[in-house]
Amino acid sequence: MKKLLGSIALAMIAMTGPLAAQTYPEQAVTLVVPYGPGGASDLAGRALAETAQPALGQPLTVMNRPGAGGMNGARSVAAADADGYTLLLARVGMALSPAVMPGSAVPWDSYTFLGMLEATPMILAVRSDAPYDSVEALIAAIEGDKGSMTYAASGATAIDGFTTQALLADNDLDPLTAATLVPYKGGGALATALLGGHVDFVAMSAGSLMPHIESGDLKALMVFAPKRMESLPEVATAQELGYETAGQIAGWSALYGPKDLPEAVVAKWNTVLSDVATNEQWLELARRRGSISTIGDVDMTEFAKQQYELFHGLAKDFGYLPN
Amino acid sequence: MSKPVLRGLVIAAFFALTAFALVPTFVPRPAFIPGFAPPPDMWPRAVSLIGIALGLLALCLALTRPAAQEEPVETDGSSPWRMGLRFAGLVGVFGLFLLLIPYLGFLLSTMALTLVVVLMTGERDHKLWIFLLSFVGPGLLLLFFTYSLGTQFPKGALTKPFGF
Amino acid sequence: MLNEILSALQSVATLQNLLIMIAGIWGGVIVGAIPGMTGTMAVTLALPFTFYMDPVPSILLLVALYKGSTYGGSVSAILIKTPGTASAACTALDGYPLAQQGKAGKALNMALYSSVIGDFISNLSLIFFAAPLAILALRIGPPEFFMLMLFALTTVAGVSGNSLLLGLVSAALGLLLATVGEDMYGSFRFAFTPDMQAGLSIAPVLIGLFALPELIKLVVMRVAKKEKAATLGAQHVTREEFMGSLRSILKGSVIGSVLGAIPGIGPSSAAFFSYGEAQRSSKRGSNFGKGELEGIAASESANNGACGATMIPLLALGVPGDVITGVMLGAFMIQGLTPGPLLFQTNMHEVYMLLIGMLISSVLLFFAGKATMRMFAKVSYIPQTLLTPLVLLLCIFGIYSIASSTFDVAVLLVMGVVGFGMFLLNIPAAPFLIAFILGPMLEENLRRAMAISRGDPSVLLSTPITWIFAALIVFALGFTLRREIRKTKTERQVAQ
Repeated sequence: MKKLLGSIALAMIAMTGPLAAQTYPEQAVTLVVPYGPGGASDLAGRALAETAQPALGQPLTVMNRPGAGGMNGARSVAAADADGYTLLLARVGMALSPAVMPGSAVPWDSYTFLGMLEATPMILAVRSDAPYDSVEALIAAIEGDKGSMTYAASGATAIDGFTTQALLADNDLDPLTAATLVPYKGGGALATALLGGHVDFVAMSAGSLMPHIESGDLKALMVFAPKRMESLPEVATAQELGYETAGQIAGWSALYGPKDLPEAVVAKWNTVLSDVATNEQWLELARRRGSISTIGDVDMTEFAKQQYELFHGLAKDFGYLPN
Repeated sequence: MSKPVLRGLVIAAFFALTAFALVPTFVPRPAFIPGFAPPPDMWPRAVSLIGIALGLLALCLALTRPAAQEEPVETDGSSPWRMGLRFAGLVGVFGLFLLLIPYLGFLLSTMALTLVVVLMTGERDHKLWIFLLSFVGPGLLLLFFTYSLGTQFPKGALTKPFGF
Repeated sequence: MLNEILSALQSVATLQNLLIMIAGIWGGVIVGAIPGMTGTMAVTLALPFTFYMDPVPSILLLVALYKGSTYGGSVSAILIKTPGTASAACTALDGYPLAQQGKAGKALNMALYSSVIGDFISNLSLIFFAAPLAILALRIGPPEFFMLMLFALTTVAGVSGNSLLLGLVSAALGLLLATVGEDMYGSFRFAFTPDMQAGLSIAPVLIGLFALPELIKLVVMRVAKKEKAATLGAQHVTREEFMGSLRSILKGSVIGSVLGAIPGIGPSSAAFFSYGEAQRSSKRGSNFGKGELEGIAASESANNGACGATMIPLLALGVPGDVITGVMLGAFMIQGLTPGPLLFQTNMHEVYMLLIGMLISSVLLFFAGKATMRMFAKVSYIPQTLLTPLVLLLCIFGIYSIASSTFDVAVLLVMGVVGFGMFLLNIPAAPFLIAFILGPMLEENLRRAMAISRGDPSVLLSTPITWIFAALIVFALGFTLRREIRKTKTERQVAQ
């Protein structure tokens, strides 16, 4: 019976779904990047566009739709026709925003999850002339200063704010008041604020920090990633240092489509992504951005759910949402 | 009511509406913000209050001082009533254009908008150019942006079967 | 050192590189000059091509596009009052009246000369002062930034036209509209629809406010100007006119070079800053806004000056100052070059090539500008009744393409109607735009400064840089007050 129902459902899809699905893609596919050009997500999107084209057989054109913390672009894709011609370069924000703003953000599950692309490590950094050489020393200073230490982040409920707040929570400090958050827009501005000495520390994505760490202007205290970074082999991860909450936080990119994409589209992208996973250029570009290609490593649907639950729990713990 | 008086009233009323109705309703406080950091409504409220003061000042000046000479608006000599109708018509056309995009698609809507707007400027002499501008122009622009930037313009619910 | 420079010169001066730069500059000028198309669009469009090019030519292409489009914005600002970029808004204030007086050629030439000089000076400052300027830029924290922007805002007094009061009203309106959308702590302000969560973009507001009221005026009042502008050839900028504006050009170039080096300020603020300064110090200050060549000179030298100088924080610190340099940073990383202090140690050859290429492209800008000017001057042969609808059509397509957003198109049209309403009430539009662009930087840096100082307002006057700007603000306010009092006195005398 189940089999029969299944085949009827399949037949229905074949009949009602656009015939084009058989020969997908017939035209250029648009990849919506929900952040501005030039940033880490834009670079990831453009790298995917470049390397997916041969296997896809059609151009993948990148379109930036920034605004509202990525929700602007996400909303446009979630509402687009589920024909496989409009896809989303998802970032950790697609799971984080709905977890902290249940009212206004696009729900985390309003997509078809095509696959994870990369993990983007985050780094806890201070100026190189700062008197702290370890996370413990920094935490001790934060405790001693009773909230007057400052850190830069894109916003209280942005991923680079959550990194610090998780670290504070792990040390039994109040994540919201133990240090003062100073909001800035974009990775470049965050890094500049630390370089200029206007804030005391940041915990943000590696891409914008690495040049300054390499030049010796900043020093890295800890990495938020599943494993140590190749370029910073001596810097321990949050997990290694025993920070339970902070150890779970890391950035990532994934490929999403509108909900209920036709089978043929999903199958096509499975092939394309497994081709990209071994593409030399893709791996090289990922290395230069400071990220690690993770195509095919995890089940994206499951991972997105975990991430949403993680951040939802943290939002409650930190006091952004009523318990 | 003279123009300066009306102007003062409009300005003061607009900023009063913002300060006392829109800011309290449409500027929510975030779940957490450090107590000493200025909240999101600080800036819009301060600006609106300044705006009210400026509007009231303009009103006072208009009532107490003799009207300074302001240059009259240059027109083709039509009655204000007629010009008001033209303005209302144009605003209506803009509104209709935005409403039509989901049904007719971007291409047809811009064609219609351009044609109507050209005719509304009183242009009747260059028939060929009117045609080229309103029908060929949008088509060329659509092709240009689609191929160079990969922009996907909205298709209409009614015209989708025809591919635009 | 000399050897390195010579070898870099050899590597840059290939036919292929020259062709790439010519294509970039010329393409940039044309894109900038077409209403509704922006420099960001041109740079984003070119980015995928650079994946297949060598590092230096690909950056030179992007820089050329940026420079070209910044100048190109002045062409449409002068000819059809549609600034191609926000940084050309002040150019439109004097350029369009000049075009209406039949002096478009003069205005376009003055814009080109000041752009090229501003660009050249900022490239020289990049070569000789990159390190000190970058250090200065890092010292600009939230309090300094706030005071600097507050001083830039005093330009409002200079662009208010007949009534300072109405200029201030317009600025308040601009400050208010700039707060729509997500604020720095994540609250959505005035988000009546989900679209408004992202706020109002500059491009539709700018074009709606400047260009669309011209169309609405034409439809409602139907006064089409029939007389044709005189040909361009007979309208060279005379030696006298050029020398009269030279002080403003040089000052504008320096203002642009210094402000451009501070990440986040960008060409628009620099142009406003320089225009306000020129208006205060010029003998012909009262003629600004009515068709004054010196106004164009001040605005254009500063915006192109800033455009070259945005490369300073990018190269020396690896920090992009605006969207376009953000794209360039991406291009650098794709090429395997990491901008920042290390670039000057590890890739000196490439850095010299880049600097030499930028100087060459300044010269190319001159010729590309001359050539494009002739092309676009033909615009004056199109009757207004066809030209303004054409501008509307171009703007609708261009604005839609920036973010694929029908909402932006709606903002464009609504701002056109608002701009027409402001015209009827004699409220000037320029202060609105200046406040709209400076507003977010003012507000955010004020709130940042207060967060860092834990609510203590004295932080705004805590460093020498803030004292300098505070003194400048007091000076500008005093100047404006004195001028207003004099004006009232003369008005009274005339009335008696």
